[in-house]
Amino acid sequence: MDVWQITRFTVACAIAATVMVLPPGVAIAWVLARRRFTGRTLVETLVSLPLVLPPVATGLILLMVLSRRGAIGRILESLGIEVVFTWKAVVLAMAIMGLPLLVRTARAGFEQVNQRYEQVASTLGAPPSRVFFTISLPLAWPSIVAGAVLAFARGLGEFGATIIVAGSIPGATRTLAVAIYSYAETGQDREAAALLVVSATIAFLALWYANRLAGRRPA
Amino acid sequence: MIELDIQLTQGTFRLDVTATFNGKATAIFGPSGSGKTTTLDAIAGLRAPDRGVIRIDGRALFSSRERVNLPSHQRRVGYVPQDVALFPHMNVRLNLLYGRHPGTSPPLERVVSMLEIESLVDREVGALSGGERQRIALGRALMSGPSLLLLDEPLASVDVPLRRRILPYLQRVRDELHLPLVYVSHDREEVQRLADYVVVLEAGRVAAAGSPAALLGSNPGTLEP
Amino acid sequence: MLASAVTLLLAIAASAPQGLPERPAITVSAAVSLTDALTAAAQEFARAGGGTIRFNFGASNVLARQIVNGAPVDLFISADAAQMDSVAKAGLLQDRSRIDLLTNQLAVVVPNDRQRMFTTIRDLTGQAYRRIAIGDPAAVPAGVYAKQYLEREGLWTEIEPRLVPSTSVRAALSAVEAGAADAAIVYRTDARTATRATVAWVVPADRGPKIVYPAAIVRTTKEPAEAQRFLDFLQSAAGGRVFERFGFGIPR
Repeated sequence: MDVWQITRFTVACAIAATVMVLPPGVAIAWVLARRRFTGRTLVETLVSLPLVLPPVATGLILLMVLSRRGAIGRILESLGIEVVFTWKAVVLAMAIMGLPLLVRTARAGFEQVNQRYEQVASTLGAPPSRVFFTISLPLAWPSIVAGAVLAFARGLGEFGATIIVAGSIPGATRTLAVAIYSYAETGQDREAAALLVVSATIAFLALWYANRLAGRRPA
Repeated sequence: MIELDIQLTQGTFRLDVTATFNGKATAIFGPSGSGKTTTLDAIAGLRAPDRGVIRIDGRALFSSRERVNLPSHQRRVGYVPQDVALFPHMNVRLNLLYGRHPGTSPPLERVVSMLEIESLVDREVGALSGGERQRIALGRALMSGPSLLLLDEPLASVDVPLRRRILPYLQRVRDELHLPLVYVSHDREEVQRLADYVVVLEAGRVAAAGSPAALLGSNPGTLEP
Repeated sequence: MLASAVTLLLAIAASAPQGLPERPAITVSAAVSLTDALTAAAQEFARAGGGTIRFNFGASNVLARQIVNGAPVDLFISADAAQMDSVAKAGLLQDRSRIDLLTNQLAVVVPNDRQRMFTTIRDLTGQAYRRIAIGDPAAVPAGVYAKQYLEREGLWTEIEPRLVPSTSVRAALSAVEAGAADAAIVYRTDARTATRATVAWVVPADRGPKIVYPAAIVRTTKEPAEAQRFLDFLQSAAGGRVFERFGFGIPR
């Protein structure tokens, strides 16, 4: 067992998942915080689903959609792209599980920004995109970062959906969480314990940092 | 020349304001809850009326019949809210320059010297007094080169001795920059000092409009219809 | 949105197929209990000139569900017939490729510090065994087998109230090793790896349930020849030696 390889792989996937989920997550959070539109409740519900569904269920849905027989998988296969049972499935599972956490935290951050600032900026001639990038985003920034760190931590610990759609393939898709489970299942408690310590340490650091950020309120 | 003919319903509150005015400084006067801020917000483009027309010098900012509703960033209207709302994550200079438009903005030095805020330009926003924040917010609005200036209770959040010091700046803006002011106030004295025209609102409707002296008299406490 | 799309595209581009390797790799989904044995067998296979095996170890029911839902698996080795049957029912097994690869036996283990050799299975009803861990008979193959055996020996009703169902047979073994259970019914092959538990009773082949590990090639495989090559190796004398080393039986 290569603790370093498993750790590096898991952290790399979690970072990729977080980066992938930031732009859409922040955009959705802002829209939910600031705009009324038909279908708003639907969007809120869809985004919260991965938080509420059992992870295995989420994994199964991903598997059905992305495998060779699935709606999206069929298209991917014709392009020669494989997702199921590869690292891409790991990143995707982590991203989907982290998205609701990012959206919730970022949304709260945007809602805390006094709308007056955005209104004044608008009267000063700033179009909505400039208002977003120069006023809303900077003022909500600590919450967005906290949300990103939460999504990262969630990705690190992600197991249920990952194991379904990415499998447990040593060297290719075995993350920390999946490896701990595998070693425990085959009686290799010492290896499992070593991975557990690494996993817990990283998660602890990530959450501690996120809490510190959330404690710093925007002016 | 400002033409207003707007109707707006929010919950149980109904706003129905028709007024035309052309003054250098127009006050919208009335008790709280009479719809003053809502009217101001409508002119600024922060609130769309249900029906009606808002025209400035013939240019339609809003017209329900012609389906015009200019977003606020295109209305060239300066706005100083009651709570001032200086951007907390920028220093004074960046606040002032936020709305600067190369073609239409006055030079920064001119605005800064007129409002006597030279020494504040490189300060952080958090450590300023109420009067200083007021002037900076005024400067920020002026720097965007507006064709109209809206102020919501410009002297309300400032204590009485300070009011006498802020008022001259507003008069200066009115006189030196030839910029029409429209401001909201529930203070009789404020209206008499600054405005040459007043629109009196009561429960969402115009109760009277005309010169301050005629309507408000020289006796504080009487409101002549 | 744009940044995500670009990232994804770059990633996909970077992992485009590099060209055909010598021997194509195959993906083998196999029950967790076969981890050590199959990993060793794959090494032997490679030494004998075979290709790379990508193993996907997991719970048999999860593995079956993955295959039924279109996961790209070439060979499936299950811990019980029921999971293999579900894949067969979905029409996903290659015709006539299914074989019974391995057998196993149940064993009763007890904590090291309370070693005993049972004379009959009836000894399990003794006072000392108040908590007996087994895999959940509702979900785990080992649990199903344990229940079958106890019923056959007429001990089920007596022992059932003392049973502690676990999510896996591994968890049952851990319970005994940790001292949380007084005994556990596990596979003989699991008992081999235990450090703080010993075997008290091995279920005789003629009394115990037929524990069989079926293997089959998945119909949608892209490498049928390679999958067959590996399956043939597992059934060969060389493969059999590896499995017997780990405590499995070979069906005659």
